[in-house]
Amino acid sequence: MSSVNGAVPTTIIVAGLALAGYALLTTARNRRMGVGLLAGLGVLEILLLVEDGLVAARLASGPHPASMATLIGYLIAMPIVPLAAAFWGLLERSRWGAAVVAVAGLVAPVLMVRLHQIWPVIHV
Amino acid sequence: MSEPVAPPEPAAPPGPAVSQPGSTRTGPGRLLVAVYGLFALSASARAGVQIATKFHHAPVAYLLSAFAAVVYILATVTLTVGSSTARRIAVVSCSIELAGVLAVGTWSLADPATFPDATVWSSYGSGYGFVPLVLPVFGLLWLSRWSRRARTRRPTAPADRA
Repeated sequence: MSSVNGAVPTTIIVAGLALAGYALLTTARNRRMGVGLLAGLGVLEILLLVEDGLVAARLASGPHPASMATLIGYLIAMPIVPLAAAFWGLLERSRWGAAVVAVAGLVAPVLMVRLHQIWPVIHV
Repeated sequence: MSEPVAPPEPAAPPGPAVSQPGSTRTGPGRLLVAVYGLFALSASARAGVQIATKFHHAPVAYLLSAFAAVVYILATVTLTVGSSTARRIAVVSCSIELAGVLAVGTWSLADPATFPDATVWSSYGSGYGFVPLVLPVFGLLWLSRWSRRARTRRPTAPADRA
């Protein structure tokens, strides 16, 4: 039903899963989150902002999806996810901070799939 | 590149690292609050849009979504606050959540006509990777650890008895 098209969403999915894997490994090894995971979140943040821009450009220059409100909600939520994870994860002094980063990594692919379910037109 | 976990306490048990005194929002609770917050946000946004734009399409489903959203918000806030009163409210909301996902899950399978659109708890949360089913279980396990700790700290305090 849902096909994710385009290089950016695909990259986000791969990057998110890779980040989640790295973060879970960090948790499993009983390490707290370090520079590596923070950089990963930064990359994810940039990718999500790029996707945001591409979808916004699409909105500006063409028809709108049926569930416009939901799409706008997703566009707002997307760049908040890595920021919130970085904030909440850095507050933690144990391995569980890295687990929070893993959640963000797993949420990113879900957001991409849902985004394209909301508006299948997107072939960004 | 990850730093080893803070001071390696010599006597610290290697098991599930419950860091120092902490709170219900630290340690494993950090992950729990993150996931609860995620669900609180997405469930309330979703319910809000559905009720505002197409309430008559599936009123039961949307009202149940809104109810689920309230329960998630309550659990997120109380787990973050972590006082003994907050923990008690958290136990209640996690219990309601578990009962809700089981009841609504069964209802949605037995009577699909009532649910033309899905709620968070439809089919035991299968649309959300069954996280809604697992989350209250972990929440209650985490909270039970805290009530046990409170009891051992003050064994005579009757207020801590559930």
